[in-house]
Amino acid sequence: MKNAIVLIVLAAVLAGLVALPWVAPYFYIFLGTEVLILGLFAASFNLVFGYSGMLSFGHAAFYGIGAYATALILLHLEWPFLACLVVAMGAGALLALVIGFLSVRLDEVYFAMLTLAFGMMVFAVAHQWRSVTNGSDGIAGFMLGDFAPGVDWSLGDPAVYYHVVLGVVVVAAAVLYLICRSSFGLILRAIRQNPERVSFCGLDVRRYRLAAFTVAGAFAGLSGALMAPFLRVASPEMLHWSMSAEPVLMSILGGTGYFLGPFFGAAIFVLLESWITGFTDAWMLVLGVMLALMVMFFRRGVLGTLLDWVQGNHD
Amino acid sequence: MTAFFTALLNSLDIGLLLFVIAVGLNIVFGVLNVINFAHGALYMIGAYLGFSLIAMLGWPFWAALIVAPLGVAALAVVLDRLVLRFIYGREITDSLLLTFALLLVLNESVRMIWGSGIHVVEPPALLAGTLDLPGGVRYPVYNLFVIGVGLAMLAGLWALFNRSRVGRIMRAASLDADMAKALGINTRLVVTGAFAFGAWLAAVGGVVAAPMRAIDPGMGDKIIIESFIVVVIGGLGSFPGALIGALVLGAIHAFGGRYFPEVNMVLPFIGMALVLLVKPNGLMGKGAA
Amino acid sequence: MASTAIRRMAVAALAAAGIVGSMAAQAAEDPIKLGAVYIRSGSASSYGEFAEQGMKLAIEQINDNGGVLGRQLEYEIEDSQGNSGTAIQAMRKLVYQENVDALMGIDSSGVAQGVASTVPQLQKPLIITHAATPDVTGKMCNDYVYRISVNIIQNMRGAAEIAAESGAKRWTTIGPDYAFGRQSWDFFSEALKEKNPDAELMSETAFPRFGAEEFTPFINSIMDADPDGVLISLWGGDLVNFVRQASDMGFFDEDIEVMFTVGAATEVLDALGDKMPEGVWLGTRYWFDAYDNETNRDFVAAYKERYDKAPSYNAEGAYAAVYAYKAAMEKAGTTDGPKVAEALSGMSFDSPMGEITFRAGDHQTLVGPTWGKAGPMDDEFGIRSLTDVHVFDGKDVTPAVEETGCSL
Repeated sequence: MKNAIVLIVLAAVLAGLVALPWVAPYFYIFLGTEVLILGLFAASFNLVFGYSGMLSFGHAAFYGIGAYATALILLHLEWPFLACLVVAMGAGALLALVIGFLSVRLDEVYFAMLTLAFGMMVFAVAHQWRSVTNGSDGIAGFMLGDFAPGVDWSLGDPAVYYHVVLGVVVVAAAVLYLICRSSFGLILRAIRQNPERVSFCGLDVRRYRLAAFTVAGAFAGLSGALMAPFLRVASPEMLHWSMSAEPVLMSILGGTGYFLGPFFGAAIFVLLESWITGFTDAWMLVLGVMLALMVMFFRRGVLGTLLDWVQGNHD
Repeated sequence: MTAFFTALLNSLDIGLLLFVIAVGLNIVFGVLNVINFAHGALYMIGAYLGFSLIAMLGWPFWAALIVAPLGVAALAVVLDRLVLRFIYGREITDSLLLTFALLLVLNESVRMIWGSGIHVVEPPALLAGTLDLPGGVRYPVYNLFVIGVGLAMLAGLWALFNRSRVGRIMRAASLDADMAKALGINTRLVVTGAFAFGAWLAAVGGVVAAPMRAIDPGMGDKIIIESFIVVVIGGLGSFPGALIGALVLGAIHAFGGRYFPEVNMVLPFIGMALVLLVKPNGLMGKGAA
Repeated sequence: MASTAIRRMAVAALAAAGIVGSMAAQAAEDPIKLGAVYIRSGSASSYGEFAEQGMKLAIEQINDNGGVLGRQLEYEIEDSQGNSGTAIQAMRKLVYQENVDALMGIDSSGVAQGVASTVPQLQKPLIITHAATPDVTGKMCNDYVYRISVNIIQNMRGAAEIAAESGAKRWTTIGPDYAFGRQSWDFFSEALKEKNPDAELMSETAFPRFGAEEFTPFINSIMDADPDGVLISLWGGDLVNFVRQASDMGFFDEDIEVMFTVGAATEVLDALGDKMPEGVWLGTRYWFDAYDNETNRDFVAAYKERYDKAPSYNAEGAYAAVYAYKAAMEKAGTTDGPKVAEALSGMSFDSPMGEITFRAGDHQTLVGPTWGKAGPMDDEFGIRSLTDVHVFDGKDVTPAVEETGCSL
């Protein structure tokens, strides 16, 4: 019964998302695209944070490298978009493997600060390696061609691009969900609960964490690859630590204990930002107050709190 | 040779200022087990308060140096009682998140109170101008003063932790809060006191930095990453670590900017990565990796 | 149990729909809306503040005089956060959600390059009022992007003339380590070589990172290199930090010709007061005291009355852009995006810098920088005055369209 309701709701949401370009005001196509991409970015982060219990403050490195990979390929090689997505995932995974190898062996405090610092290192490299990255200006002026060889969907049309993003994100989310549900995901959660016990069972905690970090890097790279053509630029700010803070905020907002929490958080974040910046500059203030209240009182996030309430758990 | 000597002095004044700020971060971590993301914002508020007292109310620099940090410490007490106490004993990630929220709120509040303009503070007349040092080196008196403040803080903190009752209580509380409580120490007071003390140090750094650096709404964000690098290089929670980390980073900035300008942005991170490859818990860090 | 759950879910869904619905319901059609994107957070936010003041002043003046096409003007402003992605989303929001009729703003070159290629899709003109990268009116130019402010090439050609006149032979630079600093030096070098083939452009340059705070190591290495002249393209808080640290190091006491490419920004002069050393060359895209025409006198007087400050070049750029749109909309007789964009091309209009023209070939206005030496304090505004003022004519410092790489 409960599963049926969840499925019905999911199907309804999905149907609504597919229909969005025809029913909502034009600007909602852009908001929708942003929500989906950032939702995927946050969900990939939550594999590290919510499932494995490691707070990374450098997740933008993988998102950014995905964006740069895509922008560079489109600019110089003009490959089909699908190929960019694949390369970006690979680049994100590879970078995550390297940074993860150096970071996951440390405890959570060091992990947070190390990922922050390594993330800023990638930012600094993008800034100073001008011959490849075009420095602070970033890479702009690239064109989207075919989706796959011979498949021209005119990706330049925002509505079409939205649908492509929707398709890619749904597939990626499904894969991520299967990973979370697999025995691998279960072990990650066990590690989160009690790393000592897991290692007593003969499992290499470090290796599982590194694997989770790498997978998360791949999906962050994918989200960056989707973002670059949407913004038509890959710039160093995409690698900055304030970008790394966004998936953290989104996951906390939505609820880290739920697979869809980060997506939900991304939706709240993007819609609220668009709404609040319309009448005040103090969006960061509002965001700060909201985050503080969430951490202090609603640690389960909006989705968690809402689900508790729907299910009548509050009494 | 002159250039080398100037760079050396430079690394000292950058490093010792960073030490004053970063050691506050370490004390808060040691006692509260909280990584204070808002530490840079407190440094910035110290600078802004100093600016208000000196440039707007016409106070002498020295009075501002005493009063502004106390004001920030008082603000820290309020923040601790109002906000931080909710997450005592929770996972460290919660403290990172909550102090990050504080950072957002404080940054924006500063912009609302003081506006977005750039401000400057004049050094006191006594410390204006330059001094000719032996060996033909000409160095600003104020930067020498910063080095002096850093050394005085170093000595004061060392005495506090090793020679005084308060310092021993703090160390006890950081080692084992339950045991300290069992021994009749009011840990709540210690915790709040340590947070206020950390904030005070950040604010001292802010007021001291004010006559050298432009005061603008982004100055807190600039210093917090630097402070993180310092504590990562030196070792979290370690007092000598903060000193060594700060001096290493100061040297990286001074010599890196001087001799390797093309990669000056990346150098601090390379330095940090190198240290961590050899000593994963920082140069002075304790415990197994 | 299940039915309560469904009911509550329905309530939640309705609430969500309500939020979305109320956000979409904004379509007051009557006034003409201008959308602006400026930097409004972080270190450089004072530049965005000056721009908004200039923009607001122009809109109030126009509204008091009957508006444009018989309609009132109003504006929406968004924060770029100095970030291309944020700026692009902000522009989409302004156009599709707030239904603005035209766009203006953009402070940083990186952001300008990012947004330039997006603007044609939005079908609204964009007048850049601050960002100085030549590329947006060069190889990345398009039908919808215009620039009202002085770009790097124009400024550096003026600078090179000053440098050539000064007689200093060996030149180096200190600039922020990103495109603006690098391009300033490149274009300066190019122009100086042309004006004075004897000039030596040194390889010992210094590019501290943007927001570096500590400039002493860079000041030391430049002083060791013993140049005759130094071109400094630092701006904002960096420039304030630099000037104070350089004074401490005795940099300004040396026999060096010092040129600050955007030193006469009132945002910076305000902060520094008499700490800006006398005798250094200060460049700016507009200087409130340098233009002897009625529009400028009125602008400066009105600005002073309203904000009790001297207008900065960023304030002037935003102010002039509003008047440019007024002229273009009246010329086109409509607020329709493509038609207004077309009307701007080749259009001349009255600005505080005199009558200026958006060149049809690349959409850059033919304007030149102002350079002058920091003089005695200006008691009226509490900032340094400029002496020995050179106002460069745009026609002399703007490259020919064929040289810009733009083909429209």
